Amino acid sequence: MIAADPQMTGTPADTQPALSLQGLSRRFGDTHALREVSLDIAEGEFFTIVGPSGSGKTTLLRILAGLDQPTTGTLLLRGKDVTGQPPNKRPTAMVFQSLALFDHRSVGQNVEFALKMRGIDAATRKARALELLDLVRLGPDYYGKAVTQCSGGERQRVALARALASDPEILFFDEPLSALDYRLRKTLEVELRSLQRRTGRTFVYITHSLEEAMVMSDRIGIMKDGQLVQVGTPSDIYDRPRDRFVARFMGEVNILQIRDEHLPELNSPLPGFADGHLILRPEALHTDGQGIGIKVTVQERFQLGSRVQLHLDTPAGLMIAEQPASCALQPGDEAQFHFDPAQAHRVTE
Amino acid sequence: MRKPLQTLWLTVIVVLLYVPILSVILASLANTRYMRFPHRNWSIGAYTDAFSQHETLVLHLASLKVAALVTVFALVLATLGAMAFARYDWRGRSIYQKAIVLPIFFPQPVLGLALLLFFSALGITPSWKTAVFAHLVWILPIVTLVISIRLFGYDPAQEDAARDLGATRWQVLKEVTLPHLAPGLISGGLFAFLLSWSNLPLSIFTTGADTTLPEWLFSRVATNYAPVVSAIAVIGTLASVAFGVVVLAALWIQRRASRQSSSASASISTS
Repeated sequence: MIAADPQMTGTPADTQPALSLQGLSRRFGDTHALREVSLDIAEGEFFTIVGPSGSGKTTLLRILAGLDQPTTGTLLLRGKDVTGQPPNKRPTAMVFQSLALFDHRSVGQNVEFALKMRGIDAATRKARALELLDLVRLGPDYYGKAVTQCSGGERQRVALARALASDPEILFFDEPLSALDYRLRKTLEVELRSLQRRTGRTFVYITHSLEEAMVMSDRIGIMKDGQLVQVGTPSDIYDRPRDRFVARFMGEVNILQIRDEHLPELNSPLPGFADGHLILRPEALHTDGQGIGIKVTVQERFQLGSRVQLHLDTPAGLMIAEQPASCALQPGDEAQFHFDPAQAHRVTE
Repeated sequence: MRKPLQTLWLTVIVVLLYVPILSVILASLANTRYMRFPHRNWSIGAYTDAFSQHETLVLHLASLKVAALVTVFALVLATLGAMAFARYDWRGRSIYQKAIVLPIFFPQPVLGLALLLFFSALGITPSWKTAVFAHLVWILPIVTLVISIRLFGYDPAQEDAARDLGATRWQVLKEVTLPHLAPGLISGGLFAFLLSWSNLPLSIFTTGADTTLPEWLFSRVATNYAPVVSAIAVIGTLASVAFGVVVLAALWIQRRASRQSSSASASISTS
């Protein structure tokens, strides 16, 4: 009935994507930095692009912000073609990897910059700047401070406030947290996510850390060699990686080749598993229970708080298992581990 | 123990630096053609002579004209050159970077003669205009180096950020690039002006019929000395000191004005 409604075949305003990437490619000489990237990012979504360095994620973000132009392809912002439009004409703002704060200006002047460019008077600018500083949890006394006097975390907040000043429809983030220490990064990840919820803005974030992406994102796109190899929710990507590249990128996993001559159990026909690889999480290996058994020798034992991680020497190569801390196995011990093939995820590539 | 030695050392340096200048001032206050000290007759006649001579003005204007043009050309070309070195990676960049500094190591009189031969080969009659070119050959590398230092310590992503925050290309230049380059432009400009203002070896060969202040001073000291020479030298020195003071004062006033306007806007919005 809904499908028959002619109005639903068009794109209603509320389901129109905030950003629509249509076959974006970018070449630098003979190098293909981006190959035919197509993607829709929804209004109010926190979308994270993850990839190793050199995968083209920064190039993609610069094209989205208008700082670079695609060689071919089209970019729609709320349905409007913005390909070729310079960055100062776009209702978007970016937080740079180096933060790119204006170091000859005060915190207040940095935050106000976008408003000054729009010709807004000094008093209004200052009132807005103080509001924004408050939003990123910096007190009014920061207004007159030099940016060079601020700590790493404070500079981060100033950069965020500066990007928010123009009230952008979409915010872009180019690995802004990569230079910070672990604890501060964790705090700011949570704050960024809650800021995104409160403001309802579309955030497009790039990082090389999948862990960071998992914490914050509604959806994640994995990039490799200038292409998006998988797009999905964090749990989609965690539970069902598309290939071995994505699986390895997710953190420590065991990748078993089906029909491995050293693992005869896997040769016996498993339902639906003709060939390819099995992705097995460290927590899916057990010392007891059912399923396929593997003879192992424990190589290393690492304490991870309430759990231990074991590095196992197996006929199929090095494997990693996670056990409760009560596990008594020590390096040098021999043991039999089991896993249920139903808990493994199969990939063909 | 260290303090008195340090003071002595600093005093010796300052004395060695300023005694020659002081002696020129003293020489200008005599009324004899031969430098002898102490003077039998103190006189400011040399200064009244200097100011009454039309030549004093002509000499200063010639030097000013050359130095001002050298400064303008040097600043524009050096900024562009420094940008090319600091921002872009191109084939032969490091070789070009070294090649451009080479004229500094070339003895100036030889460089001046070479330039004169070059001009005459091209059929150009030497004048103060060719001297501008000659000075630039020697001064431009120095100014390029001074501005490069400023550009290398600068994150160009600031310009991207400004564009992204709504600035036009012109606003990026005015609000971000120039304020950052300003210290380099000022010191580079001062270098360009003063090195050109006091240059003798290049000017001798390349000014043709025109005469700059150092050229005139040199020829009069060598052949036809009178206290008026010292007087004009003192006036010339004061003129270049005044130039420096005016530049620094302008900067100071501008900085104070911008600080006042920002604090004024702050007080408006808090009231």
